[in-house]
Amino acid sequence: MINTMKNNLLTSVLIFGMIVLYSIPAKSQDLDALLEKESKPETTYATAIFKSTRIVNGHSVQQMKKKQLEFRVSHRFGQLNTGSYNFWGLDQGTIHLGLEYGLTDWLEFGIGRSTYEKTVDAFGKVSLLKQSSGVKNMPIQLSYMASTEVIGLNTNPAMQQNFTSRMSFINQILIARKFNESLSLQLTPTYIHRNIVPTEVERNDLFAMGIGGRYKLTKRVSFNVEYYYVYRANSSSLPITYYNPLSVGIDIETGGHVFQIMLTNSVAMREGGFIGKTTGSWTDAGIHLGFNISRVFSFNKD
Amino acid sequence: MNKLILFLALGLVFFNAGAQNRFFTKDAKINFNSSTPLEDIIAETNQATTFIDIDKNEVAFSVLTTSFKFRRALMEEHFNENYMESAKFPKAKFTGKIVSPIDWKSEKPVVVDVKGELTMHGATKAVTFKATITPGKTKVIATAELKVTPEDFKIAIPSAVRDKIAKEVTIKIDAIYAPYQQ
Repeated sequence: MINTMKNNLLTSVLIFGMIVLYSIPAKSQDLDALLEKESKPETTYATAIFKSTRIVNGHSVQQMKKKQLEFRVSHRFGQLNTGSYNFWGLDQGTIHLGLEYGLTDWLEFGIGRSTYEKTVDAFGKVSLLKQSSGVKNMPIQLSYMASTEVIGLNTNPAMQQNFTSRMSFINQILIARKFNESLSLQLTPTYIHRNIVPTEVERNDLFAMGIGGRYKLTKRVSFNVEYYYVYRANSSSLPITYYNPLSVGIDIETGGHVFQIMLTNSVAMREGGFIGKTTGSWTDAGIHLGFNISRVFSFNKD
Repeated sequence: MNKLILFLALGLVFFNAGAQNRFFTKDAKINFNSSTPLEDIIAETNQATTFIDIDKNEVAFSVLTTSFKFRRALMEEHFNENYMESAKFPKAKFTGKIVSPIDWKSEKPVVVDVKGELTMHGATKAVTFKATITPGKTKVIATAELKVTPEDFKIAIPSAVRDKIAKEVTIKIDAIYAPYQQ
């Protein structure tokens, strides 16, 4: 009796073993299934959230990758409402020349010079979070941008007395998400400190919230919009009427170049100017036609 | 009764051992060259997963298109965004057969014909190419070269850059396989 039970147990174990052994090759019958199994678990990072390092005037979360140099020429014509005498603004031009370089994939530096108030600017942009899905899941791309602008104009005696009064400091957090292949949106909380302001009643500190986005019309063309809400505590008592900057543009990408063509109520092309001192108004056609041209050079040898 | 089962079990073990004739690697190299006198377009990955079944003479490859590295970051971005559309079609794949005779015990390099289907950018095309395979007990080395045209895989190239990208793209494969343990 006991013997039979032992035998039964042994038989069960053996049959179980057979089933186990038999089932192993059955699980992986064709190479296709094996490939699926052995392909590395993937994390997909969002790339090309915007086509360019600027949405229109303001920074986007895009930046130069390691050893890539961008040469950027920005140009704004005069105001549309200046009439035929001024050829609707095309007689005038304000220019910004800039260079941006990626030290690493997550850190870039840039310098620039604008004819607007003869301003020199230098900035750093660091990528802190990368939007990804898969094994690592991160819904947003987040960067921090810090910039210093130095006004070179020699018409303000206060600025001529003291160099530091020419300086402004800009801090921005760039929060973006690529919702799908076509649509990307960005929020840009901004804090600007100006050592000296144009009029006495203006505050030195300025807070603004930027909202911008792009929608791809084709693979190489996108429609961009950018708006900054600027908080001014005492706006009614200001001698100068400032407007919130609103810009709409088209990005056209051709290989190593990106062309951006836009309409904007700001003539300045850097944050201290277009966020702090936009005086054009969309409602009375105080807008400017403009373009940015970006060319990227690679210094990667390997 | 018990002895019979034991025999069957042992038989299965041996039978199984015989069926484990698969070799694989997760870090096969693939590079492609689409250069013209106007532009150097070279990219490489070392993250291709591939299997060889030496019983059935079958070969399979799979690679993430985003794993290809370019010298120019912008070119890499355009490759994924505009040409391969990697978000929509993340993988390129090949499944095929070695159609010419090969002696897996010889351990000498032999040139064989490989025939199969290449899938990328959502399109599949039959391809035939030559490969050099060096069989071995503990490793199998394979190299291959094939030429494809972007149009065959519905990859549109705008006329503005048509002269900068080669009509035929040369793909080179370099894989060192190890026995596949389940």
